[in-house]
Amino acid sequence: MAIDILLTLLTVVFSLMVVFSKKTVVAAFSLLMTLLVIAMIYFQLGTVFLSAVQVLVNAGAIAILFVFVMMLINLEQFQNNREKSKWKLIVSTLTMLVLLGVFALVINNNIEALSVVNLTDNSMKTLFAKLFDVYYLPFEMATVLLLASIVASIVITSHDKAEKLEEK
Amino acid sequence: MSIYYYLSAFLFCLGLLGTIFKKDLISILLCLELMLGGVALLFILFSKATGFLDSQLLVIFMMIISACEVAIGLSLIIALYRKKQTIYTDDIKIITE
Repeated sequence: MAIDILLTLLTVVFSLMVVFSKKTVVAAFSLLMTLLVIAMIYFQLGTVFLSAVQVLVNAGAIAILFVFVMMLINLEQFQNNREKSKWKLIVSTLTMLVLLGVFALVINNNIEALSVVNLTDNSMKTLFAKLFDVYYLPFEMATVLLLASIVASIVITSHDKAEKLEEK
Repeated sequence: MSIYYYLSAFLFCLGLLGTIFKKDLISILLCLELMLGGVALLFILFSKATGFLDSQLLVIFMMIISACEVAIGLSLIIALYRKKQTIYTDDIKIITE
């Protein structure tokens, strides 16, 4: 139980740093730390494979991709030259608190049913037996989606011919 | 274990807060990642509570989709930066103009 509270506190601190830190690079590294602590939570819950995938894909690839893009667009020139709108912050904080209250109410009402551990077979073997049997078609579609996103990101970021003519 | 339910709700709401009030597009994408992290945690907790492995498989698909979303979102930001030299949402008024 102590480790649960520790991991929760760590996640809360790092996620608050993602939203409220002034520098975007700090926010990106806080996101990296948040994702790593969430991976630890997955490990604590017994889903070892998902924990490894979280570290590899989300923390290892996505968070680093953010930092890489920040290097590309030279973020330093954008720092702190914008006026902050207080009104927007107040409204969004109120929205967050109301939503959080509703969620907490729903969780509180069902906490006894939710706290039971019913999962008996947690092994990777059963997980993948299901993935390659029942979820075979969605899995293949996911690979096609990844391929499409690779092609799309290349097409979006590459200079097209019309732009090159304009530059000349 | 039950404290994680509140944690996932908190992560989702905090991500929503950031998505609403942040002004640069990269921070908005970071906060979207935070929301997705909260929802993935909730799926795994449901898998523990109900005994269905399907929720864990949904988390795998969610990771794939979030990877695609981040890749395309960041490349859109780079393309926008090349055209307009800005990443702020209040500088982009292409639709309203």
